[in-house]
This record gives sequence, C-alpha cells and structure tokens, in this order.
Amino acid sequence: MKNAIIRAVNIEKEFPGVRALSEFDFELFPREVHGLIGENGAGKSTFIKILSGVYSPNSGEIFINGQKYDSLSTQLVKNLGIQTVYQDEILVPHISAAENIFLGSQFLRKKILMNYKTVIERSEVLAKRYGIDLEVREIYENLNPADQQFTKILKTLAQSPQVLILDEPTQVFNVTDTDIVLAIIRKIVEDGVSVIYIAHDLDEILEVADRVTVLRDGVRIVTHDKTKETLDANLLAREMVGRAVELFYKKKKHSIGETVLEVQGLKLKPDSKEINFDVKKGEILGIAGLKGSGRSAIARAIFGATEKFAGRLSYKGADITPRNPIEAVKNGIAYLTEDKKTDGLFLNMPVYQNITIVGLNSIHRFFVKMRREKELAREFVDRMKIKTANLDQEVQFLSGGNQQKAVLAKWLFHGVNILIVDEPTHGIDVNAKTEVYELFTELAATGKSIIMISSEMPEIISISDRVIVIRNFEITRELSGNDITEEHILAGYLGAEKSA
Amino acid sequence: MPDNRTEIEQKKQVARGGRLKLFNSQTSYLILVIIAVSIVASILNSRFLSARNIFNITQQISVLGILTMCMALLMISGHLDISIGNMAGLVGMIFTRMVLTGYSQGLAVITVLALSTILGLINGIIITKSRTTPLIITLGMMYVYYGIALIISQGRPHSLGGRFEILGRAKIGPIPLTIIIFLLIFAFAYLLRKYTTYGRRINAIGGNKEAAFLSGINVDLHVTTLYAMSGLIVGLGGLVLASRLGMVRADSGTGYELQALAATIIGGITFEGGKGSLVGALLGVLLLGIMYNAMNIVGVSSYMQTIFLGAVIVAATVISNIGKMKKK
Repeated sequence: MKNAIIRAVNIEKEFPGVRALSEFDFELFPREVHGLIGENGAGKSTFIKILSGVYSPNSGEIFINGQKYDSLSTQLVKNLGIQTVYQDEILVPHISAAENIFLGSQFLRKKILMNYKTVIERSEVLAKRYGIDLEVREIYENLNPADQQFTKILKTLAQSPQVLILDEPTQVFNVTDTDIVLAIIRKIVEDGVSVIYIAHDLDEILEVADRVTVLRDGVRIVTHDKTKETLDANLLAREMVGRAVELFYKKKKHSIGETVLEVQGLKLKPDSKEINFDVKKGEILGIAGLKGSGRSAIARAIFGATEKFAGRLSYKGADITPRNPIEAVKNGIAYLTEDKKTDGLFLNMPVYQNITIVGLNSIHRFFVKMRREKELAREFVDRMKIKTANLDQEVQFLSGGNQQKAVLAKWLFHGVNILIVDEPTHGIDVNAKTEVYELFTELAATGKSIIMISSEMPEIISISDRVIVIRNFEITRELSGNDITEEHILAGYLGAEKSA
Repeated sequence: MPDNRTEIEQKKQVARGGRLKLFNSQTSYLILVIIAVSIVASILNSRFLSARNIFNITQQISVLGILTMCMALLMISGHLDISIGNMAGLVGMIFTRMVLTGYSQGLAVITVLALSTILGLINGIIITKSRTTPLIITLGMMYVYYGIALIISQGRPHSLGGRFEILGRAKIGPIPLTIIIFLLIFAFAYLLRKYTTYGRRINAIGGNKEAAFLSGINVDLHVTTLYAMSGLIVGLGGLVLASRLGMVRADSGTGYELQALAATIIGGITFEGGKGSLVGALLGVLLLGIMYNAMNIVGVSSYMQTIFLGAVIVAATVISNIGKMKKK
C-alpha cells in the first residue's frame, strides 16, 4: 500500500443547525486524481475548506505526509504545498495576469521591487509549459472568463504545489478549454502532483479521475477505483442522489398561443448583426449560449437594464421598449438574474419582504398592512414549497434551491407576462431543479411566456419548446421540435459558417 | 421525508433564535451601558440625577438626536451625509440674519426649511446622477456650506438678542419642547421605515442596490427624496440649534455630523445598509448625551472627553462585530 499524502480520518464538521460532514474519511495518494462528487450541500466545499485551512473541523484527524494535524491554517497549508483553485475566487482586477500569477509567490517575497520583465517572462514560460495560450500582459479584468480561470490555475501552479485542489474548474469553459484543463491535469500528475477534482459534470470526472468519492448529506457513500471497476455516469448520479434519477426532465405538453413578445433589430454592439426573435404565449423559448456569448446581455437589454445600440420591443403589437427596469416591470416583464445572491435577493431581509418587494403597491397604498402582506406571502411559500422556518426568516439562511424559488415568488407575486430566467438551476441540486422545471411548465401552461437562458444542455433540450443559439452576440441557429438536439446546439456554439 | 424536513426546520429555528438574541443583546446591551454610566456618574456626583440635570441632558441631546435620525435613515439606505452639521449651522445663520434684518420669524422659518430641503435635494441629485460615493460629495458640500455661512456671518457671531427663545427654552408641562420635537422626528422616522412602502424600498436599496434596481424600484428617486427629506429635518435641527444657543456662529453646527455618525454606529446601524434599528440609534444618542453630561459634571477635561468619545465609537463598533470575528 502506498503512503497517502493526505489522509483525513473521521472528520466531523457542524454548523449551527447543520451537520456538514460526519465520520468522513478520505485519502489522497501520490500522483492521483481523486474526484469528489455530490449534490450541493453534500459537504464537498466544506471538506475542501477544511483541507485549505479555512474551517477547522469539530473533531477528527488529518495526516499530511504522515504528520498528524488536528486542524490546519491557511498559512500552514500553503507551506505544505497544498494549493486550491476556488470556484468564485477573485484575483486583483487592475493588474496584469502575469502579476497576478506571481503575486505573493516565493521568488518575489524577498524583493522590495518587482521586476516586471522577469514576471512577464516567467509567466509566459509557465503558460507555454502547460499549453495555455494566454496574453499575460493583459489586465486581469479585461480577460474573458476562461482566461481568468486559466490565470487562477497558473497562479497555483507557479507555487509548485504538491497537492492541487480544483473546485469546479471548468464551469466557465467551453469544450476546447475544458480539454485543455484536463490535459493540464494529466501533465501535472506526470510531474508528481496529486489532484483533488470537484465537478458537477460526471463525464469529466470519469475521464480524468483515478478514483471517485461520492458524498451525500455529509457522509461518504463510496469510493470507486477506476482501475478495478468500470464506472458510468448513471451509477454515480444514483449514488449522489440516493435513488435513480432522470437526467432528463420529461415535460408535459400544452398548447402554445399567438406571438406576444417581439424583439426587433436588437444590437448590443455597434457592429454586431441585428437580433430578431419572438416569443409566443405559453411558450418556453430556450436561449443557448456559452458564457460571454452575449446571452445575458440580451436579457438585460430586453429588461432595460443595459444600454443597447438599437432595437425595439413590442408586446402584442404595442411598442414597449423599456428604458430602464422600472418600465420593464410595469409592462409585465420579469428578469431572474444568473446570480441570485448578488442581484436577485435582499439577503438580510425576511422571506416575506423579499417576496412582496416588487408587488408592494398591489397590497399597500403607502402604509404597510403587515398582516395582510404576510398572509399573501404565505400563500406563495406554500404553493411553491419554499422551505423556510417561518416568514420572518432572513432569506440568506435558505438553501440555494429555496432562494431561487423565493426570487421566482418575488416576480409571480407581482404578476408577470414574460419571465426571463438566466441559468435558473445554476448551483442548485437535482431535486430542486425538478421542482423549478415543474414550476416553469405550470407557468407556461397558464399562458405565461418564458425566455430561459441556459448553458446546461439537458435543461435546454428537455424544457424548451424552441431554442435559439447565440454566439458572439448573434443568433446562429433557431431550432424547434425534434431539431433541438445536442449536435445542433453545439454546431450553433461553434459558429454560423458551419451549416447544420 | 416529512420528519427529516421538520427536523431541518427546527434546526434552522435554533440557528435563527441565536441570531435574534444577538440582535436583541445589541440594544439591551446599550441600555445596560447607559444604566451603568448613570449609576457611576450619580455616585461620583449626586447632582447627576437631579431633575434639573436630566432636563439639561434632554436639552443637550435634542439637536444631535434630530441630526442622528437623518444619518440613520440615510445609512439604512446605504448612503450617508456628512454635510448635515454645517448645513444645520448654515440654516441657523441664515435664520438669525433674516430675523436681525427685520423679517418676521414665521417667514424666516419657512424660508430656511425650504432652503435646507433644497440643499438636501442637491446632495441627492449630485450623488444619484454622478454615481459617486456619498462620502466625498457630502464632504465637499460640508465645506461649501461652511464657506457660505462664513460669508453670510462675515466671520462674526450673531446674537438673536433673546428673540425666538420659544423653540429652545419652552416647555410643555415639565417636558422641554426640543425633546418633544426630537421624539416626534424619531417617531416619524421609525414609522416611515417600518410601516410604509417607501421605507421598505429604502431598506431594500440599502440591503442590495443592484437587486433593488433589477426589481424595478426607482432607486434614484427614492435616494434623492430621502436626501431632500433629510435636508428638511436638518433644517428643523438648525432652528432648534439657533434657538437653544441664542448666538450663532458659522461653525455652530460643525462636528455634529461625526457625532451623529457615531451615535448611529453605536446604535448598531452599519455601513452595509439595509439593517439596524432606529431604536438603537436613539439609544446611541442617549448614551453619547449622558456620557458628555456625566463627564462635565464629574469634571473630566474637555480634552479627555474627546478621547472618550473616540474610544466609545471604536469599542461599540468592535463589540457589534464580535460575532463575525470568531473563526467559523
């Protein structure tokens, strides 16, 4: 038996009211890629944060290179050569990628002045070594999300780690970039580095990991060894959820009515092609596109939240082009943003106040009738099965799925005709996803129109009645019925010049 | 499954209970400190608890209290205004000069209240239109108001000569009129925040400005009107100030803005916006007032007093953040 680099024994971690990890054992061997999978809240992130010294466990032992530690600190972990690339880590925005890569690194620590040229050269060498094509002189915030992610990965590699922890590193990537990351992983393993790899994409895990540990409700369910058994995504999915799951949602059909919303001549950049599309009553229109393709910009433009260069919006023939969200809301348009925490919810306000904030005027004139307001909010909490201790609970204490439902409730309480949803199931688990899909289908059946932006193929394919594919601020495909397939959407991602 | 769910809810309830307690302890802790300071002061000097002194304290805190309510409302909306002290001084100066020039007191009152509303409105418009930070804009305006007051006063103090004493010195029964004005403004602010749609939206803007904007709330309109309303209240504060002092200088209001900020923070309202209670801010005012008075009565030098004020602000901010300091 090889000696483990990291061995965690019987780790317990409790947060107020939640046991995040219990009796958790984990081993990482040299030159191993160890995949860690589980639903949101299964305890993956908690474990990673313990390993990187952010949290201390309530009990349990951690051995690193055979040395025993009761808890770790971020500094200690760094000295031991464990590096983590976090999902939502932000680097310094106003300096170059190269400077970010070597910020705080060994070879700069003892120097007072930083030699910019050396930093650039070293970064270029590093990027080249791992086959990354990165303009290292570019200011970090001007890089596209994929290059920002590469910068983060390079930053950790610059420290010559012994162990690299990657928390959903490919979330922002398209297919090619994901392949690059997987190639990097193979290369660093050859160099003798061990990797802990967290991802939601099971195929990716299957491709890159040597062993896979499945977590559910803070407990280790199983650890698979790929050299000894054959694995498939369905098995892993079943183990994650604890029952058989449909990876594709089966949507009930209902009739679709006449065209209600028309977007005409929308231009987000002065030199981009015009975007024209319409949405029908009771229809779910999927907008497929990768991050940075302009799909969210289209939503924001329709909602009046961003400047646009040209374009009109009409509802049932009448021009309603909104200059700001106030006008959009008046015309019955709702926008559920991609990041519900930063721009959808009022985290330190109670659940009921989050639900009623848009529709305040429908229940109150100027003075608030608290009792009536709570009664009405209660109906939505019950109807949408929002799990909350009570109505006065601050919305920040709700789980991701319930927060998403609360954002949806905020709009439904006000009453809307057109619902624009941006990555509606991003970061929520399988069960909550199904509930969100059910709500969407129900809404569409009652005659609302939904524009759903998503980068998740199964979601786009199973929920949409019609799909438009966006690439570089242009529509490259319009698909409906049986044409909505993964191949066609991928073809659309790759560009207009290739006809399907 | 249902069992599991109720269990989770119970756990959440526990978590929430813990949090609520913390919040309550913020205000109850303030009350305890106020009582403690009062006990120590009355032991050191029995005059502290005399009716006359308590009357003095209420008189002394009224101007600060009125300005603190402006600051508290603005901070709940995620903004602030540090020009309010000098704005109050300017209002007092203009009022005094008008009365001395021979205008009727009624006309002067109406003029300066209208003027201060406009000054607040200007602050609000600059901040919302330019999308700059309120701190720097109102810092600039603070100097502008002071400069105007210097020009109007020609650098000299101006005495009201015993006119307009009614506001500062009158009593209703045993209660001074100034404290009634302060409490009315507190009640107004409290009701506005808690029981009106306007207050709810102000709270939401402070809690998450971007989410408020994307929820179709007219953020600029709400913020601008809040500054204007704050200006009106500052105008009242300036009148109380002039009436209480009887003699106004260009810098009569200087320093109130920082004390108001201190009282607000001691009361548990933070720069994050969207949370904190106006009752806390009221207690913050009371604590500062009692501390100043006690130090005066006990004979602490005014230099030492300044150090104490600073220490109290630091201590209150640290204590209100203790929960976040603990390692997770």
